[in-house]
Amino acid sequence: MISKNITSNKEKLIKAFNNSSDFVAYEFKTRADIKILICFIEGFVNKDLFDRDILKPLILELDGQKEIKEVIFTPKIEEVDSIEQVKNEIIFGKIAIFIEGNTNCFVVELIKWDKRSIEEPNSEAVVRGPKEGFIEDIEVNKVLLRRKLRNNKLVFEDYRFGKQTNTKVSIAYIKGIVNEDVLQELKRRLEKIDIDAILESGYIEELIEDSPLSLIGTVSNAEKPDIIAGKILEGRVAILVDGTPHVLTIPRIFVEGIMASEDYYLRPYYSTFLRLLRIIGLFAAVYLPGIFVALQLYHQEMIPTVLLINMAGAREGVPLPVTLEVLFMTIALELTKESGLRLPKNVGATVSIVGALILGQAAVEAGVVNAITIIVVSTSAIAEFVVPGLIQGIVVYRFVILLLGGLMGLYGVACGFIFITMELVSLDSFGVPFAWPIAPREWGGLKKDTLVRLPLWKNIFRPKAIEKRNIRRQISPWRK
Amino acid sequence: MKRKLICLALSFVLIFSLTACWNARELNTVGISLAMGLDIEGDKILVTFEIVNPSYTQKNHGGGDVGPVKYVQGIGNTIFEAFRDVSLKFDRRILISHNKLIILGEDFARRGLINQTDQLFRNRELRETAYMLIAKGAKAYEVMGINNGLEDLPGNYILNLIRNKRDNPKTVDVRIMNYLRDYYLEGIHTVAGVVEMIDRTQIDETGKDMGTKDKELTVIGAAIFKDDILVAYISGNDTKALNYIKNNVKKGLITFPTPKDIVRNRKSNLEDKHLSSVLTIKVKTKNDVEIKDEGINLKSKVKIRGTIGEVIGDIDVYNEEEFKLLEEACSNTVKEAIKHTVEKVQREIGLDIFGFGLIFQRKYPDEFKKIKDNWDEIFSHADYQIEVETNLIRTGLIDTPINVD
Repeated sequence: MISKNITSNKEKLIKAFNNSSDFVAYEFKTRADIKILICFIEGFVNKDLFDRDILKPLILELDGQKEIKEVIFTPKIEEVDSIEQVKNEIIFGKIAIFIEGNTNCFVVELIKWDKRSIEEPNSEAVVRGPKEGFIEDIEVNKVLLRRKLRNNKLVFEDYRFGKQTNTKVSIAYIKGIVNEDVLQELKRRLEKIDIDAILESGYIEELIEDSPLSLIGTVSNAEKPDIIAGKILEGRVAILVDGTPHVLTIPRIFVEGIMASEDYYLRPYYSTFLRLLRIIGLFAAVYLPGIFVALQLYHQEMIPTVLLINMAGAREGVPLPVTLEVLFMTIALELTKESGLRLPKNVGATVSIVGALILGQAAVEAGVVNAITIIVVSTSAIAEFVVPGLIQGIVVYRFVILLLGGLMGLYGVACGFIFITMELVSLDSFGVPFAWPIAPREWGGLKKDTLVRLPLWKNIFRPKAIEKRNIRRQISPWRK
Repeated sequence: MKRKLICLALSFVLIFSLTACWNARELNTVGISLAMGLDIEGDKILVTFEIVNPSYTQKNHGGGDVGPVKYVQGIGNTIFEAFRDVSLKFDRRILISHNKLIILGEDFARRGLINQTDQLFRNRELRETAYMLIAKGAKAYEVMGINNGLEDLPGNYILNLIRNKRDNPKTVDVRIMNYLRDYYLEGIHTVAGVVEMIDRTQIDETGKDMGTKDKELTVIGAAIFKDDILVAYISGNDTKALNYIKNNVKKGLITFPTPKDIVRNRKSNLEDKHLSSVLTIKVKTKNDVEIKDEGINLKSKVKIRGTIGEVIGDIDVYNEEEFKLLEEACSNTVKEAIKHTVEKVQREIGLDIFGFGLIFQRKYPDEFKKIKDNWDEIFSHADYQIEVETNLIRTGLIDTPINVD
């Protein structure tokens, strides 16, 4: 309850905030001799507007007869009647105004803090297509999304998670398009979350996904409004988390990994070619080192003679067995990748030069590794970047396949392939089979928007696995 | 969860304990053999391997004076024993899965192949697509070191000579699987390719003849086997006819006298031997056998589609009548040549290397059973008839020869 005495309120609040230095409790009197207490958190409030639109009118015009809403002109003013609630509002950056003798507290929103400007995300650069990306502020992100989907059916539903962080989380979907089953399931899982902190959307991802132990996640994320809008339009639900530009979407299917937003902005032929390229890249990234080792150790007869002689020439004088050689090179490559990522940008260039020179040329010239190994390892490394969404799985699987290939030849690679396939087809994402439309196979899905990107006017239906009721995207232009 | 883990662990145990590719060999512990030579040395079998020295591919590491290949030999009572003998003299295990040539010394081939070569077919590494060649009048290892081509590896030099059959059908390309197939069949005798050492005229920069110093190889001709024993060789032209009958010709040359009757009076030093040639594009042969009262009749029908290669003499290709004459002359030459070969084989060798027996067997299976033991005798006395039809479809870049007005 809010007491009529503002001094006791002030004490309560100061105690609630534990004398924190950024908590401001300003007590003053108006011209009409009314005692007022204003509380807020420093840095959350737009100071200029606060002076002009709150402090000044309160001091000059509040006289006991006028309502506070006649003095302060802002639509974002609310009355709150419990000190607990006031506390919460202050944490989120609002200004609490107590008036002596009043059991209500007025809460005004006048938030201003520094945010990053909207930039092109580093991880999802495109040649064609919008360059804007989400930022850390959830309200801005909502606006970005709403700007893509100017539609009254786009719904945001807000949640707060984290006992310590009180992080704002918002789910977004289009009413009428969203798969209701998925939505209900998501809400059910969200309600179960009870954690002390949500620092990034990865926390939410781990708490709601179907198979927390699988190598490939069943929740996808993106940093760009156009990608998220596209996914929402296919019946998915987006989850925005305050404090991170990475927005989650569910359900995720495997083939999203070989798709890119640009596919839909370029010519269908080229997009189809790119899709095939990504499939090749996916396989090369996972299997190339393993198959290379298996062929070289166990199946020399399968290598063309001239290539075999070249490989044998390159192997002359190399001390390590080929499996270890490839393994060490792969680890060295991961090290380069990781250090290149973590180092400050201006040092990063040094690492890449040193890495390229030492691991590449010098190692070959010193005879520690052979040139063909480097070609194979770097090809698979380059290949993994064409499917950025699946990298986390690829890297682990690559080591597994490499070891199996080195220990058991192509038989081992085949076993690894079976294990990977088994894992992929057993996954589920919010009731949608992860491997759809490959398994369960659906030709319609495969040929329209998976292996082939048909022209938009041919792509009439939404993905059937995700959206079951409102599946029609458009009426075929030929039927008009 | 526990069950899953147990399943996973169990399947890993199974993967490792069940069959797998087990025989791992690092590439720097094997020697890649490109060609294998088999000879008789005294009473024993001498095997020669041509092993690639892989260092030659690394330009900057340079193997010093070591050439691209090394030869290693092993001797033993059987081929397998000879293979194992190699391991006492050579540091690396020999990988014969890339062995593309098997060269048999003449003495080896004359002792009969099948009884001696069981290991070659039983060995899981050796490819049955390897070509089989007989070193004519020589030991296999004498032939193996010679390389007069641009290939670094002598084995590839010989291999490419065989592959050149597509341009010149005067040789045969017999893989050991073809040989084995023909060996099993009744009504055909096996042939194998031949590799022969010949003297090479060395020419220096001035073009002056420096005398014969060097050797080179040729794969002209074919070797003929009775069962699995080498009995005879046939010449390049006879091999060409053999390939025609066996429907085994792609691109080949037919040279024939330019039709004389239409040669107009013109000054030429070649007065009497005007020759023209045709390059075949496609040759289709159909063979047939017929039983007659007093024996059997062998028949071949050859259809040649070709393009004009050379026209020497006064013949106007542009004129349709003269063009027809050209086709006829070509057909006649082929006819004569094939007939000549068949009759020569009937007369001199007396073995059905053309496979007429197979056709007979297919057409008259019951009769063949009765006569199969003396089929070669019947073949030698059979009549041979041949029809040739030539269809020239192109004339090359020019039509009328340059010296014709």
